[in-house]
Amino acid sequence: MVQSKKQKYTFLAFCLVPTFIMFAIFTLYPLFSGLYYSFFDWSGSSSNREFIGFANYIKLFKDTIIPDTIIHDYFLVVTKIIGIMVLAMFFAVALTQLKIKEAPFYRIVFFFPNIMSVVVIGILWTFIYNPSLGLVNSGLEFLGLEEWVKPWLGDEKWALPSIILPAVWAGIGLFMLMLMGGIANISKSYYEAARIDGASEWQQFWKITLPLVWPQVKVSILYIVITTLNGSFILVQVMTGGGPNNSTHVMGSYLYQQAFKQYNFGYGATIGVMILVLSLITVLFFQFLMRREKVEY
Amino acid sequence: MRVKRRLLLMLMMAFLMAFTVACSDDDDDSSSNVGTDGEIAGDLEIQYFVGGYGDSWWKEVIADFKEAYPDVNIIEHAGPNINEEMRSRWVSNDPPDVVYIDGAGSSETQMVEDGQLMDLTDWLAGIDLEGGDKLADSFIVKPANYDGKIYSLPLVFDTWGTWYDKALFEGNGYTIPTNFDEFMESMSEIKAGEGIDPFVTTGQHPYYFLRGMLYPAFAAAGGEELLADVITGKEGAWSSEQVLDIMTRVEKMVDEGMFDSGLGALNHTQSQMNFLLHENAFIPVGFWLPNEMKNDIPDGFDFGFIPSPMNAAGETYAIVPDLRPLAIAEEAENPDAAKAFVEFVFTREYASSFSGHTGAIMNLNGVDLSQNEDVPVYLTEANAMINDPAVVQIYEKPHPMSADLETPIGNALISLMLGNMTAEEFIAEAEKAAGEYRAGLE
Repeated sequence: MVQSKKQKYTFLAFCLVPTFIMFAIFTLYPLFSGLYYSFFDWSGSSSNREFIGFANYIKLFKDTIIPDTIIHDYFLVVTKIIGIMVLAMFFAVALTQLKIKEAPFYRIVFFFPNIMSVVVIGILWTFIYNPSLGLVNSGLEFLGLEEWVKPWLGDEKWALPSIILPAVWAGIGLFMLMLMGGIANISKSYYEAARIDGASEWQQFWKITLPLVWPQVKVSILYIVITTLNGSFILVQVMTGGGPNNSTHVMGSYLYQQAFKQYNFGYGATIGVMILVLSLITVLFFQFLMRREKVEY
Repeated sequence: MRVKRRLLLMLMMAFLMAFTVACSDDDDDSSSNVGTDGEIAGDLEIQYFVGGYGDSWWKEVIADFKEAYPDVNIIEHAGPNINEEMRSRWVSNDPPDVVYIDGAGSSETQMVEDGQLMDLTDWLAGIDLEGGDKLADSFIVKPANYDGKIYSLPLVFDTWGTWYDKALFEGNGYTIPTNFDEFMESMSEIKAGEGIDPFVTTGQHPYYFLRGMLYPAFAAAGGEELLADVITGKEGAWSSEQVLDIMTRVEKMVDEGMFDSGLGALNHTQSQMNFLLHENAFIPVGFWLPNEMKNDIPDGFDFGFIPSPMNAAGETYAIVPDLRPLAIAEEAENPDAAKAFVEFVFTREYASSFSGHTGAIMNLNGVDLSQNEDVPVYLTEANAMINDPAVVQIYEKPHPMSADLETPIGNALISLMLGNMTAEEFIAEAEKAAGEYRAGLE
């Protein structure tokens, strides 16, 4: 039976309208109300609010903590991209190319952190970093490296780098699986041909594997950028609360502090707008940076 | 065809309806607040935070109230996160009737500024206690005063102080300090005797040190005037000679290694756990400490409480009470029942049972705790000490410090405690934060 145009559109509407309504309620509405509240002086805990125009934005530019939070966020973005991509690529190649018998076991082990809630990961690592009872310090003492022992999360210099480890650890599994999927799709004949031509393992990796999984790498990097800018606040909030002395505050945790602890909800919304703008710019920048002709052999 | 389209439309409508229903408030409460004979009746919503004091006292009071007012249906909103959970109700002008203001996410000053609390000034003047005393004259600490108006009645009288393990101190003959010099001496003894960093506090929440150690020090040095100036961020208060002097004492504690080296990483439970495990010997917390940690107290541990010994030699101990008030919402739907409940709660009988249940003191004077067997020893001792003006001076703060000032000062304070800042640098930071806070108020 040939569908009439009307039938076709009705069917399309049936599929799209509910989704759009959901999208409007849960994404567009909060987005625009966030933008709207950023023009108000509002405590966030009563119905009183006062329109103050761009005052919150002026405050944003004058706030000396904001530049630090941005730097911390991008520090996390860069280190996470490098840490996760290098390790995920390494494990993906190792598990697919090296014909290890226990590969399925490792696949599960590496993926394990992904099924844990980030909050649980944060709490777990807080215990690992605990100054007196934690694994890290006990391990260092056991190895005779007492001078390296420090209150990792309580040290203004070391707190932020300490947060990277759990962030990378928790991220490897998912991207490893994505890359493994990409590698599995590469035809074995390319490698055979390369071997016959005398290419080393390294050359095979650089000339065959990497170019052919580039789409996956690109998606992974963008995904890490977005989740870090939007979600790094969970680990920070659980592990350090932004301290000591703002040394680990990221934009998200600072937003939370302003909106819910200092009762400056309007200002918090302004920080939210800033996060949105910066995320957009960053994603566009990375898209531009990683544009590359699709490779096909 | 037609039918199908109609079906589709209906489906979508049903979908939308489901949403609207799910999102709407159930504020169509038509039940009358006044019973047939003019008695107090109807629903009464009570919001109370459950923290270190537990909720057993509340359960008792509410059960008794129900017996006295059988026509009132009490709806309790309680829990450790209740302030967050009820926030949307306050924002949408549909608050509970009675609110106990305590815990994270609640701020009395903020609620008064937002006009959410009922003016109780006139009503309070007409309330008598069971013995005929005026309630207004029977508080240990008077209600907070906002330009001559009273919006909340202080229910819990708590105070920050310094805790130690009596068993440890008596067993080893360590000094129980009464001023800062003795404090340093005592900490040196402990450092040598136990091989531990003697003092711990939570680095994640520097306000524990601010409220627990510095407020009493400011009060002892400059009285309520300095305390008020510091809390309101008055120009020059933080950079004053007296404050510098006190901050230099903190720096001295840092220099001599009295602070736990890992305190920057500790949250409040971890720091309290360290204290219970004898990793440290002193910790500043309020009366709620033993109750909060009751499941983790090692055998033989004997809580001792002193006002924080940050006062100079020659000054008496100082304490700055920390009050947790009970208030009625401006938009309360059942104000009569709310007032009846608040009046019902403020009796000396409940004050005595409060100490038994919570290990803290209710803010009513003339309560004899020594007769109540449920009241822990540290509390009767502390109560006796607090009531002896030769030993302890009580200083009242005008109101709690605003989070907008407390946060930046806390941040600088943690840097000072970690040894990354000097007392002078701290004072410069604090004065700057106070300046920004004052600018924000205008």
